[in-house]
Amino acid sequence: MIIYLYDGSFEGLLTAIYEAYYRSEKPEQIMAQDSYQPDLFSQPRVIATDSDKAGKVYDAIERKISHEALEHVFYVYLSELPGLGTLIYRYLQFGWRVGADINGHLSLEPVREVLRISQKVGVERHRMLGLLRFKKIQGELYYAPFEPDYNIVGLMAPHFARRLADQNWIIHDLKRGLAAFYNQERWLIRELANNTGQLNWEENEAFYQELWQNYFQRIAVEGRTNRKVQRQFMPARYWRHLIEKPTQ
Amino acid sequence: MLLVEVLEKLNILSAAAKYDVSCSSSGSNRKNKPGGVGNAAASGICHSWSQDGRCISLLKILQTNFCVYDCAYCVNRASNDLPRAAFTPEEVADLTINFYRRNYIEGLFLSSAVWPNPNQTMEALLRTVKLLRTQYRFNGYIHVKAIPGADWRLIAETGTLVDRMSVNIELPTSESLQLLAPQKKRENILQPMKLIGSQIVESQEERKQSRKAPSFVPAGQSTQLIVGATPDTDLRILQLSESLYRRVHLKRVYYSAYVPVSTNPKLPTLASPPLNREHRLYQADWLLRFYGFEAKELLNEASPNFHLQLDPKSDWALRNLHLFPLEVNKADYRFLLRVPGIGVKSAQRILTARRFHSLDFEDLQKLGVVMKRARYFLTCKGKYFGQIPYREEAIKEKLLAKPTKVENYTQLALFSDVENQQPVQDALTSITGEL
Repeated sequence: MIIYLYDGSFEGLLTAIYEAYYRSEKPEQIMAQDSYQPDLFSQPRVIATDSDKAGKVYDAIERKISHEALEHVFYVYLSELPGLGTLIYRYLQFGWRVGADINGHLSLEPVREVLRISQKVGVERHRMLGLLRFKKIQGELYYAPFEPDYNIVGLMAPHFARRLADQNWIIHDLKRGLAAFYNQERWLIRELANNTGQLNWEENEAFYQELWQNYFQRIAVEGRTNRKVQRQFMPARYWRHLIEKPTQ
Repeated sequence: MLLVEVLEKLNILSAAAKYDVSCSSSGSNRKNKPGGVGNAAASGICHSWSQDGRCISLLKILQTNFCVYDCAYCVNRASNDLPRAAFTPEEVADLTINFYRRNYIEGLFLSSAVWPNPNQTMEALLRTVKLLRTQYRFNGYIHVKAIPGADWRLIAETGTLVDRMSVNIELPTSESLQLLAPQKKRENILQPMKLIGSQIVESQEERKQSRKAPSFVPAGQSTQLIVGATPDTDLRILQLSESLYRRVHLKRVYYSAYVPVSTNPKLPTLASPPLNREHRLYQADWLLRFYGFEAKELLNEASPNFHLQLDPKSDWALRNLHLFPLEVNKADYRFLLRVPGIGVKSAQRILTARRFHSLDFEDLQKLGVVMKRARYFLTCKGKYFGQIPYREEAIKEKLLAKPTKVENYTQLALFSDVENQQPVQDALTSITGEL
């Protein structure tokens, strides 16, 4: 069984898909190098990332299928789920055959799967746009730590760059050691280790946190308490970085 | 600002505002401006969910809870002995901005009790909104109450600054109003709604001509009706909603199950708020707005209230079995929408998917159709999958809601007395106010 291995980057994945098209040795699977475990039957082929080749695949998805398909592929890539390389490969193989209509073919497994995963990533992004909490640090800087299931920090940054355009902020994905930095002009993503050390909060920070916690308690109508629905919309794994404290 | 003072005011004025159920932040795409803070997201964004399961999207507070009115159903009525407070415009603006910059909220929902008269109340609201928009350069979402009886010029100016406005009708008929809020007149409530409605339509027309034309209440107008405080039937309530949607172009009507806040003899004594009835009204409201139903199809004078164990669409379908079963591969979109278990999204998916191949029973499940309801009303390639006789009683028995499973969150100890545990009264989902 031929397996193409890429370096884990989006460019790497697109390069692997390029090679799968032009090499005579077709892969049965495409996966990131560090998730590959050697066994007796597999024949790994390491694909070197090449931005020209990746660019060609990128254009070909957009031109010959649709911009929407490109977005779905990128979202699936950000899910970091096992098997995503092969799934995207199958989806695109089919996509280049049928073109822009691809997402109507819901009876096909790869199409349904890509749409399902892409939607999950999109849902988490939307959820986190609401659940992210900034804290103000001395020196006019707002800092928001979070631990999303998927690698969505890059999907969230543009929203906050438009919205909180006149403040400096950092959105820190503690799970992946990545952060989006914004300086009132542009944002970029860099690695940022987890041990940020002791941060010095601005003097009013505790005051607004307390106001918000109080507000959160008071706004619920007692006669209608419904923790089940609360947890359904706001799963407990996200509570850690909230300011308000939903009780168990 | 003094912590204790602001904290106390916030506690008083948010507790007083919580019975207003609207918290939607959708429908506006206001952009941020250079040097400003905030924008609106057309989809709306929920920032938290409170202990009652409702979405928190806006900072929902009253400018003041001092009130000249004495409406029996209202917690802020003049005769109610409770702590009173008033925010200054600066305090509201400061809270909004600081919550917004920390991403706690999507914007502000500012309401007010009436003190000392409608004009001065509306002026205070306008001052706050203006302060936020101009001095604080805030471009996030703002929802403001229009105060009935206030000068139209004040309301109109406020409308040019905010995203949504609402006037609460609260009680669906003049008789109910006469009984519980004798100081208020139905006409005075409806008049500003009509004016706001026509101004919205006018401004939409102008903006079609020129994109630079000023916006007026771009996220539309909404209102709220209390359910269960008066003997009004579901039919009366739904007919009122229907005419508000059609004639006044309302964006949303909210329904609020009456939570007992008073022991006034004119009010019913309820063990718990009628959440199930509220839920049915919301379902019917969706049928009016997105499914092409009319109020008179769903209810009539002979049966003026919704079936509590059966959703309004299933109820309607059972009474109209002669229109079913429907062939999924041929049916018109309008009819697909009328099938219990098929929603707007799944109907659209069916249309897309059947362009490529004809659909089977299994396909429908994958498209998100709720088969436990839809199966009795559909055929796929001519085949019926209901597996029971096509008769009203037989299907009805299958569709009737099973008694709600008792949910109890206390963990069972080894020797706990199971008999003594109280079942939770109503485990129904509440509506989040998100569109």
